[in-house]
Amino acid sequence: MPDIAFLALSGLVIVSAIFALEAKELIYGAVGLAFSLIGVAGLFILLGAEYLAMFQISVYVGAVVVLILFTIMLVRRESGRIVEEEEPGRLGRAGILVAGLIALAVSGAIVLLVPISPEAPEFYGVPLPELGRDLASSYAVPLVILGLVIGATVVGGLTLAKVEREKKPNGTTQ
Amino acid sequence: MQGLPALQEILNLALRIITSRTFLEIVFFPGFLNVMLSAAFLVWLERKVIARIQLRIGPLYAGLSGILQPIADGVKLMFKEMILPELADAKLLMLCALGLMMLAFAPAAAIPFGEGLVIANMDVGLVYVFAVMSLFPSVILLIGWGSNSKYSFLGGLRSLFQQVAYEIPMWLSVLGIVMLTGTLNLTKIVEAQQRLWFVVPQVLGFAVFFTVALAELERTPFDLPEAETELVMGWMTELSGVPFMLGFLAMYTKLYVMSALITTLFLGGWSGPGFLPQPVWVVLKTFIVASVVFVIRGTFPRVRVDILLRTGWTRLLVLAFANIFVTVALMSIGLGSVWRI
Repeated sequence: MPDIAFLALSGLVIVSAIFALEAKELIYGAVGLAFSLIGVAGLFILLGAEYLAMFQISVYVGAVVVLILFTIMLVRRESGRIVEEEEPGRLGRAGILVAGLIALAVSGAIVLLVPISPEAPEFYGVPLPELGRDLASSYAVPLVILGLVIGATVVGGLTLAKVEREKKPNGTTQ
Repeated sequence: MQGLPALQEILNLALRIITSRTFLEIVFFPGFLNVMLSAAFLVWLERKVIARIQLRIGPLYAGLSGILQPIADGVKLMFKEMILPELADAKLLMLCALGLMMLAFAPAAAIPFGEGLVIANMDVGLVYVFAVMSLFPSVILLIGWGSNSKYSFLGGLRSLFQQVAYEIPMWLSVLGIVMLTGTLNLTKIVEAQQRLWFVVPQVLGFAVFFTVALAELERTPFDLPEAETELVMGWMTELSGVPFMLGFLAMYTKLYVMSALITTLFLGGWSGPGFLPQPVWVVLKTFIVASVVFVIRGTFPRVRVDILLRTGWTRLLVLAFANIFVTVALMSIGLGSVWRI
């Protein structure tokens, strides 16, 4: 039964990822990406990491995809315009060939070296209270540094986004 | 001859699935039928409550005091022609209307309607409900964009703005409950409230969450995405017939689920005097919460966009943090054990 779910979810992830890349309309691409990320969340649930899966949905699908959609809508006003496809040149064809060969080599090596379906380990995932305790005790310093980095990013983003407003003679901003 | 035993087996399996407890729960009580009928009932209740506020009578003829009016409206909408703008994206609109309905139903799976009466007793129930809620803005934005109409698009954008901005106070306002109970499981959160409902120690969190719920539901005073005087019907302007019915019902379903969530988190869920069964208490409290939302719609004006955003960032966020500090104070003087399970 988990095998069927795994296959279905993997299929969903791969097909919608391809759809996201190949869609002529950027909006459809974003929708495909959303489905792909939901599929990844499903895979997390199969692995017993429900908490991670819920945050995958809420952060990646709920926030990142919304951001992408929003950007597309603000940047591209005209809808229905089809992106012209460029024929890949000689270098492009060579690149595709090399990439394909590398992918084949890597997947072949994985298939040969690693058993395809490893035995499920006895216990996967850390219970949430334990994870929280670990984060707040053993990993307190990395956590604080992460928070600082995110805070600095937000401040930097706000600085970049701030538009200088001309001051009118009577002191009101426009 | 070979095919018959296999057929028998499949029939047996189907029978076992249909009569299994989970299936019955999904289809009938805490699941589909309950949510659907309650959403229809809420449509009627809203019309009646607002009619009473405005000294009107409201729906009257269909059934007892018009209680069948929402069902009649639904049947009417099903037979109506679907009119779409010429350049609208019909496939995307249908997909999004269906998706909205599914998203509105999905959180009901984690909400307990009685001791052990819950479709999926998840350890991450609270995060699951919020994760599903966070998918609404993108679908609504897609409906607004796919309609190819300025009213719809502006409505969708406003909905996105306010739902994304109010998501942060929403997560923070329930943090106090999670700290007190030490769990994200909604069933356990209700069990922890048997002695005292969380509305008492978490009164700030309750106020913040209720306000945020109004904004997430696009209800007065935060009904900017659907401002009738400016945007006709917001992101639903170009929907008609069945897609409109789906969108409309999805919003009432979301109202029902959100009220049930408030009941679960703050109002003790199924706990109540024993003369009524537990599910009745949950549904009753949910309807009372929804009626408060309706009374607010009948009595409050609409806020402006800048006030909405300023309230979110400078008032609700600060109050949510204050609630966390109050919770920490409560726990440090040893009162936390009242709700610890």
